[in-house]
Amino acid sequence: MTHIDLSQLSLLKAINKKLVSGYHISEQDRELWQQLDQQIEQYAALFAALGYELVQDARGFVYLYADDATPSMGKTSRSFALTIYILIEHFANQGNDPINALFDQDIDLSLMQSLVQHNKHLFDQLEIFSGSDLRKDVFMRMVRLGVAKATEQGFLLQAPAYRYIDALLEINDFQEMTAEEPA
Amino acid sequence: MIPPKRILSAINDYWPLLEVLVKRFNLSDFSFLDVQTIIKQQQPHLSSDKVFKEVNKLLQLEIIIPLAKSSQLEINRAIADFCQHLLQEENLGAMGEISALVDDLTRVGQRMYNAGLSDDQYELARNARIMDDRVRKIVKLFLHNQNAIFNLVEQAKSNDTHMSLAKRYKAVIEAFDEYIEPMLTMVDIGGHFKTCFAQIEHQISELIEYIMATGKFNQEKRMLEQLRTRILDMYLTGQKSLTKSADILLPLREELRRNTQLTRQAANVLSRIRKQGVNAVLGEFVPAFQSEPQKMSLGNANQMVAYMAELNEFEQAEYTLPNPDEIDRYALPHVPDYDKVKHCFFKQSETTPRSLFAFLEDEYSGLEADELLYLYQKLASDPAINIEQAEQPMTLAHHQHQFILHPYHGAINSNEQP
Repeated sequence: MTHIDLSQLSLLKAINKKLVSGYHISEQDRELWQQLDQQIEQYAALFAALGYELVQDARGFVYLYADDATPSMGKTSRSFALTIYILIEHFANQGNDPINALFDQDIDLSLMQSLVQHNKHLFDQLEIFSGSDLRKDVFMRMVRLGVAKATEQGFLLQAPAYRYIDALLEINDFQEMTAEEPA
Repeated sequence: MIPPKRILSAINDYWPLLEVLVKRFNLSDFSFLDVQTIIKQQQPHLSSDKVFKEVNKLLQLEIIIPLAKSSQLEINRAIADFCQHLLQEENLGAMGEISALVDDLTRVGQRMYNAGLSDDQYELARNARIMDDRVRKIVKLFLHNQNAIFNLVEQAKSNDTHMSLAKRYKAVIEAFDEYIEPMLTMVDIGGHFKTCFAQIEHQISELIEYIMATGKFNQEKRMLEQLRTRILDMYLTGQKSLTKSADILLPLREELRRNTQLTRQAANVLSRIRKQGVNAVLGEFVPAFQSEPQKMSLGNANQMVAYMAELNEFEQAEYTLPNPDEIDRYALPHVPDYDKVKHCFFKQSETTPRSLFAFLEDEYSGLEADELLYLYQKLASDPAINIEQAEQPMTLAHHQHQFILHPYHGAINSNEQP
């Protein structure tokens, strides 16, 4: 059994507060991340004792696994997913490497406006009607959950966004499966 | 013929210009004016006349040559190759080049073998020299192509290139499919190259044995031995260079594969969302952030930490019972009954005040200090005793303990006499 020494987990309170609220701790939260990274086994054991699964992703983030979301969080998460997929398409259309661009390029209000304009049908479903809606309802929430960080120009996606990219690949696996089944 | 030394010194003098020409035009043509502009940029103090003369000088030395039937210029191919080699700006050659050279090597090897066995010294030496030349060329090509692939990768990786993703990766894929993969199969055990080299090596070894047996052509024997080593070395260089190239190209190829897959899937999912709605398509797939129990049942952070600490202690600190032999036995207090003490005090002190402490010390000297003090305060707070307190503090001793206090003197309260 992992030895848990609370004196070493000096940031437990802050880490717990963030993780339980659904926040993803990544390298941008330097202090918390460093301690989590160093004491990950102890933290994992501690949260496991509380009935949570602490997940550390090799791409540089930590979160509490939740198997079903609250309804409001589910909607938020879907809006994140849609925005990220639209961004991937947008960057690919511009001839950029979508993954690199996704994590390297600032997303400013004018880009948000053009995204909403070009994908009106999609954003309408989430009741996002303008660039500032997108900013408020999606990107600000992303910041609150650690998926993005605010920069001078706008927002920059962070490593936790990889969860959505993984999910994207899963959707297609599922699609292929259902497509194969009737045959 | 232009003396080579002059060409070399001109290359030395005009190196900044040549570097720009090679990098900017990459073996394509350029105009007289282009060259003039570059010189002007690099040496702004030169007059136009002088610049014109400089370009002319390069033309005379045939470092720059005019294109046939055109006013455009190009860098002499030999010079351009040399510059590219120096700048490591090589372009990937065709696999066919190396393959053709290897085939030629086999042919020349066969000829040399025949010449050796028919004791034709001149032919033997000539063919050995040709083979040596081919081997050097092949090694050069391997290294050249390796450099070219490194450049390709650099280019594909760097973000500032304005090349689109598809184009950038096209070069990588082409390099991989048209050069690396076929080359690797050829170099591989059992591949074309391996069999060629094995055959050549066998022939050379046989020739050397023959020469040793007959004792002829000592000079040629050394040449053949060198050739054999060089071929072996070439084979190893080729293998190493190809593996290196494959190692750096593979990740890029993976990246491309992943990116195209990702883009395709993003487009696919978005089109499904357009038709079926966000909830239907994304519903169960998107990551969940905060589950209901996580949100509802946790209480505040302090409770949480306390709970965790408790859990932690429960797991960690096992309470071990002390060894019964090691602890002092519990001794019952010997405090005498208070009423008896009071009665005794009354009997002794009558009406004159008496020091409480002195009384206890005299009568109950066997008591522990805390027991004595207990009785002292009990007497002092008894309403049946009139208490006077000394103005000066005194140091009193009982056994090895010392007390500093304003001692009480007590007399029987006449109203409350029992």
